Amino acid sequence: MSENILRAEQIHAGYSDKEILHGVDITIPQNKISVILGSNGSGKSTMLKTFCRLLCPAEGQVTLDGKNISSINSKTLAKTIGLLPQNSIAPEGIKVADLVARGRFPYRKFMTPLSKHDYEAISEAMCFMGINDLADASIDELSGGQRQRVFIALSLAQQTDILFLDEPTTFLDIAYQVEILDLLKELNQKRGTTIVMVLHDINLSSRYADYIFAMKKGKLICQGTPAEIITSENIKEIYGLDSIVIEDPISCSPFIIPDSRCY
Amino acid sequence: MIENKGFLVGIEKRKKRYNLILCIILLMLLSLICINMTLGTNATYPLSDVFKVLMGQDGIKGAYIIKNLRLPRTIAAVFCGIAFGVAGNTFQTLLRNPLASPDIIGVSTGSTVAAVYGILYLHASNGAVSVMALISGLAAAGAIYWIATKGGYSGARLILTGIGAQAFFTALINWMVLKGAEYDVPSAMRWMTGNLNDIKSDGLPLLIFVVIIITGGIMFMGNILKGLELGDAYATVLGINVNLSRIIIIILAVVLIAFATSVTGPISSIAFLSGPIATRICGKRQTNTVSAGLVGACIVLAADFVGQNLLPTRYPVGVITGILGAPYLLYLLININKGEKV
Repeated sequence: MSENILRAEQIHAGYSDKEILHGVDITIPQNKISVILGSNGSGKSTMLKTFCRLLCPAEGQVTLDGKNISSINSKTLAKTIGLLPQNSIAPEGIKVADLVARGRFPYRKFMTPLSKHDYEAISEAMCFMGINDLADASIDELSGGQRQRVFIALSLAQQTDILFLDEPTTFLDIAYQVEILDLLKELNQKRGTTIVMVLHDINLSSRYADYIFAMKKGKLICQGTPAEIITSENIKEIYGLDSIVIEDPISCSPFIIPDSRCY
Repeated sequence: MIENKGFLVGIEKRKKRYNLILCIILLMLLSLICINMTLGTNATYPLSDVFKVLMGQDGIKGAYIIKNLRLPRTIAAVFCGIAFGVAGNTFQTLLRNPLASPDIIGVSTGSTVAAVYGILYLHASNGAVSVMALISGLAAAGAIYWIATKGGYSGARLILTGIGAQAFFTALINWMVLKGAEYDVPSAMRWMTGNLNDIKSDGLPLLIFVVIIITGGIMFMGNILKGLELGDAYATVLGINVNLSRIIIIILAVVLIAFATSVTGPISSIAFLSGPIATRICGKRQTNTVSAGLVGACIVLAADFVGQNLLPTRYPVGVITGILGAPYLLYLLININKGEKV
């Protein structure tokens, strides 16, 4: 059995002439929820893309169990690493179940119908995300929160041990944000799926993450549990923002209150 | 048998429905073939006579017309219709844009440039014009792709580059027509509208072969196309080699469209209309390659029948299909932002 240890080693990466990541080392904690924090332009999305092979590092390598991911067969890799991209596109008018079924691509042979395993995976993914009732609904009719659940179900149908999510709560209102993050927490607890996400909200990160990576200007500046990372000093360092930290009365995790010039 | 959790029966249902619709379109196509083979302004032959002629029986009245005029015309209509329909639908699916049809993003017009040049200035034979059109269509598509992907691929850039190339090619064609010898211009114009009048049966086996092979190839890549339709990020993470698959699919579609264009000229709107019509009838579960091809064939046959028999004078098929395309383009442009939900 493979351990699925995913590790970035000395990654330098960027777009055409601009290097964004300047030598980042990250080892993804197994069976945990990790959140990558950082201000805009800190390179957190670029880091996620490099992990998912959407972006090829100029220097350094991403390894899965010691093997460079660019040397792993892409369908094999697709059975281990899944991603919810930031902007998911669905073909206009597609039905929810048909869309979720497309997550089965790495398991399917050319020109064959969906197998029994495929159906099981699709139904399990949809049950987990609570979208059974929407199976025959058209994707265009759904609300933002429902759409996001459908896309996560697509990734779950892919049955990967590691799931990356690029800002899964952006564009959602607070109730949907909590709902999506609760579902991801359950996914992690029930199945041991390793979850890595980029989030903007520090307090939600602090509540849901087991482990936090903080990035700034293309470098990893600190990592650790929320209790270790979410401190006034670190927030000042990461975002350049003064704040005080209190305890979240619900989850007992650190909760930051930003300081303001006006008060 | 696959046992389904109740809520997933819709997948199987939609699949059955799709197969049923395919059968219905196929029946429609067969009826249109029969109509085009039997009815005509000059003479109407009973279906039984048509069959006898096709079976090789001698001495049937109208054998010459059936065998040498109507049969090649109908075969060309069916296979070029399939080719335009499949190629158009493939582009529209890959680029996720109903406007991204090869007759809008310059591929067909690229073929036309060489054909018009061949007719007006080289006085080339029909066969030579076809070859020139084929090569020039492929070259035009290659150039558009190269310009559009210099510095990173994006679907929108490909479409805009194509529209620009389209304008450039159209200008070239107009210039050639203006400068061309007056007595040659009508034949160039005839080629440009797309018509089924000059079909020679010796070129048809190759057309049939190419259309079947390439349509089969695109069907074979159906699951990949479905992945690419979800965007590059999803496609990559699902294990698809995005750049390689995309270029293979584009080459297949371009060869298909260039080949069909070289036989009949650019029959307007078929590539543009077939995919959306097929999607509207069949839904988006599948890539609709087969249904779009069959719809394309039906439109070409029906339009040719109308152009030949139902109007005061005979019109080439491209004129009729052009009339169909214009209102749909307007409809699309008016509605393009209405359906969008964020």
